[in-house]
Amino acid sequence: MMDNESLKTIFFETYHGEEIVNCIQCGSCSASCPLASKMDFGPRQLFALAREGFMQDVLSANTMWFCVSCYGCTVKCPRDISITDHMYALKKMAIKHKLTHSKSKMPMMYKSFSDPVKKFGKITDTSVIFRYAFFHPIDIMKNSRLAFNLAKKSRLDILIHPIKNLIGFKKVINKALELEKE
Amino acid sequence: MKYGFFPGCTYSSSAGYKESTEAVSKILGTELIEIVDWNCCGATSYWSTQDITAYVLPARIMALAEKQNLKQIVNVCNACYSTLRKAKEKLSKDNKLLETVNIALAEEGLKYSQQVVIRHYLEVIVNDLEPDDIKKHVTVDIKDIMVAPYYGCQLNRPWGDLDNPHYPTMLDRLCSILGAGVLSDYSAKTSCCGAACIMPYNKDCLPLNQRIVSDAVNKGAQVISTICPLCQLNVDASQLKLKLSKIPVLYFTQLMGLAFGFSEKQLGMQKLIVPFKLAEG
Repeated sequence: MMDNESLKTIFFETYHGEEIVNCIQCGSCSASCPLASKMDFGPRQLFALAREGFMQDVLSANTMWFCVSCYGCTVKCPRDISITDHMYALKKMAIKHKLTHSKSKMPMMYKSFSDPVKKFGKITDTSVIFRYAFFHPIDIMKNSRLAFNLAKKSRLDILIHPIKNLIGFKKVINKALELEKE
Repeated sequence: MKYGFFPGCTYSSSAGYKESTEAVSKILGTELIEIVDWNCCGATSYWSTQDITAYVLPARIMALAEKQNLKQIVNVCNACYSTLRKAKEKLSKDNKLLETVNIALAEEGLKYSQQVVIRHYLEVIVNDLEPDDIKKHVTVDIKDIMVAPYYGCQLNRPWGDLDNPHYPTMLDRLCSILGAGVLSDYSAKTSCCGAACIMPYNKDCLPLNQRIVSDAVNKGAQVISTICPLCQLNVDASQLKLKLSKIPVLYFTQLMGLAFGFSEKQLGMQKLIVPFKLAEG
């Protein structure tokens, strides 16, 4: 596992996390967060930990996986810290350094969304739900009434309509993923 | 007026967004020209997991629009809007990233040259048209429809330059122009619906939707009006589980369509989960 100091350097320098030194710990972010109550640490605490260098604790927290990208904190922050963007950075770092919170279901949710994009260029609700259902069938069963309702109103797109130049698109995506590794 | 149009993945299977947007744009003369062979913008899934691909997906859409000589890209989904706009803004400040993105796009003979403006259809209607351009098409009196204008998150946040990010009024104004009643104190208008978290964490996201619905119901609204397909689905579908009075969740384009004299069927409103039926009041 990479040490705290090196992780902090990556967060601060590669992902511009250094702006969190401006945080005054007012807690506006945690107060405005719709899902803060589900988080191991609210954003305020998370940034306090990161600043003090406890990066392994930060990256293995469930906090950023509960961030729904509502940007409520970002517009409330009196120090103009782009909090949502830092949550994205911390998610990417957690994945890269294999510290992802083991119980969070969001990495699988994101994967279920990203895979059909790579394959077809687009998603349909069904293409995402089927993939996700494979790993978390109970979550889907709990929503069977909704699925029934959507089907009845012809809102479940069973067929995937891939983009036309799928060969070209895949070349672009594969190149992007290759560049990603560099 | 001609605009490039990025419908996004959920547009055609949503509860009448496509039908109503097509109907309304024809009446208003805001011609929406679909970007040929667009792809998914990637949304939060890609921002959360990929450094470069998250930019390549929206950049491909913008590059295709440029190839079609479209100067503006109109979105109807808040997530698409914010993804494209975020990519555009970050790429304008980072030459190295822009170069990398263009290396990937070159595989398909495309190039993104930062020539497009990113718009949302609500904001196009309110900012590019005069109130009278809209009012003159109103043929049905909808003053008895009391609307709770619901903005969701990713139109006004994080930027806050289109409208007040804490308490926007753009949709309120549009409702007034249409002659509908507007809840002036709808405090949940920018609350989050739970977005993609709603599937894995349904139980945790229900209270978020409870607030959006109960605030509208308790203050006397008869419909909630939305501007994003994910917001619409979440607020509409959550009501299957919430023990509250039901309130229909309409797209702003459906509300416009009703005022312009279209039938509910023409606006795809039979696809709503909570049926459109006005409560007595």
